[in-house]
Amino acid sequence: MTLTGEQVEVPADPRAFHTLSLANGWGDGAPLLPPTDDAVEAVLACTRHAPDHVLCVLPPEYGVATVELIATNAAMAGVQPEAFPLVLAALEALTTPEWNAFGLTTTTSSVFPMLIVNGPCRVPLGIDHRAGCMGGAGGRGSMTIGRAVALCLRNIGGQRAGDTSRTVFGQPARFGMCFGEWEERSPWPSLAQRRGFDAESDVVTVHGGKGTFPLADIHNDDPRDLLFLLAKSIAYPLANMFLGNADNGEVVLAVNPMWAERFAAVFADITDLQSYLHEHAWQPLDLWPAPNRDILETKGRVGLRDGVHPDRVYLAARPDQIVPVVCGGLGSLHAIALPSFGESAMQSARAQAVPVASQ
Amino acid sequence: MDTIRIRRPTAPPVEAVAAPTFRLDRPVVGLRAGIRTDAAWRSWRFLAADWTERLRADGVAAVATVETHAQVGDTGANDRSHIADLADAVDFAIVGLGTCGSCTSFAIADAVAIEQRDRPVVAVVTEEFATHGRNMATHLGHADLAVLVLPYPLEARTEDDLRTIAAAYYPRALELLGVRP
Repeated sequence: MTLTGEQVEVPADPRAFHTLSLANGWGDGAPLLPPTDDAVEAVLACTRHAPDHVLCVLPPEYGVATVELIATNAAMAGVQPEAFPLVLAALEALTTPEWNAFGLTTTTSSVFPMLIVNGPCRVPLGIDHRAGCMGGAGGRGSMTIGRAVALCLRNIGGQRAGDTSRTVFGQPARFGMCFGEWEERSPWPSLAQRRGFDAESDVVTVHGGKGTFPLADIHNDDPRDLLFLLAKSIAYPLANMFLGNADNGEVVLAVNPMWAERFAAVFADITDLQSYLHEHAWQPLDLWPAPNRDILETKGRVGLRDGVHPDRVYLAARPDQIVPVVCGGLGSLHAIALPSFGESAMQSARAQAVPVASQ
Repeated sequence: MDTIRIRRPTAPPVEAVAAPTFRLDRPVVGLRAGIRTDAAWRSWRFLAADWTERLRADGVAAVATVETHAQVGDTGANDRSHIADLADAVDFAIVGLGTCGSCTSFAIADAVAIEQRDRPVVAVVTEEFATHGRNMATHLGHADLAVLVLPYPLEARTEDDLRTIAAAYYPRALELLGVRP
């Protein structure tokens, strides 16, 4: 295997390397692993792509992302080689034009790629999908795959807060966010299956998420009541999806397995559940002050397309823009919404793993 | 100190390209002007309406306006198509407003799309997003794109303030377009 990236001599001492990486702006503040040739080659062994293959061009500075350069960043992030195809799939997905990386890497918003993984790889690669899956569970895959994508955006795409990225606050997920769906506890087809992939494929879905928005209830056991409250909660007045076009963006609704079971007793078909959520995910137009109302009306956000409900503003134009994903612990009581930037459509890509025998 | 060798994790810098720019080099009398507005920004809609009147008073034959609504989806695709149509239909254009991260990116991209059709164009951004706008133009291969920088913030200003800004910056917009008296 021939590597062609520029070689740099750095201190062998981990603390000195960390200091150098901070000085060079290579990282996210946390320690990095040195991308030696051995480390990079081990990562590259888990993809069919040649090192010089150009996978994509990453905004905002349009850096050319060769597979070798991506592998270098993956090695720095601590990605185990077998997980590298998921990093490549995530980058492939987020550079699909409709994901709008051009806008999302430069916006004032906190939005960042949030990776949702389906498929058999979740357990062996340590992609958290049970208790603490959005932070705290500590699976290697969850902690490093998202970080590798973040490092690629920084080091290859040139995304830097306060500079090329105009993000006002950022968010913790800008360190990297990756979790799985607990498919085995889901009463519905997995997210990947709903997006056209088979259950045996390892698939990454990239969502432009603004943050983790926690929701809780302990007072009501009725599934319809609970779904009504979830719908109202995700349609909060200052949601980004009220700022733009109703047709764009999806809000991910992470539902714990206990609630999913309860909801499925009423809505065996997940599209019926999505329709119910959509039906209630609105706020009255007069909730907003006059200047906001003017813009909502100018943008055609008032009522549904067929002219009904001219006194309501719906979060989304279609039920499929509310995307349930089953994950989290069995303690029930909680859900998490991942609100959308709005001007972005989630994208999925299959991870192309190398057969074990050829590694 | 012991050392090891690693591979550099950053991409090589992309060479800056400055595509040709175009200037009117004449008065605006009889010309067709285009303005790109954005439904998101009340301030810019106000300024664009003010400048439309000023252009007409200066003898422009017609002012066409495209109001953008989205970055992606069918609406975003229609917006981009309307920008292309605008470029084909006018002699010069004013494109705004860059006063957030992604809206600056798209305002610059739309201005570049017009410049790629050989039309004089000026992109309008606010001061906070001026560097970002120029960087975006450079990354899109149009490093010399004319960029008019307005005060920041524009939102939360009174109409009197906006009218004053409109009057103060209109001559600079024409200057950047290469308008001669």
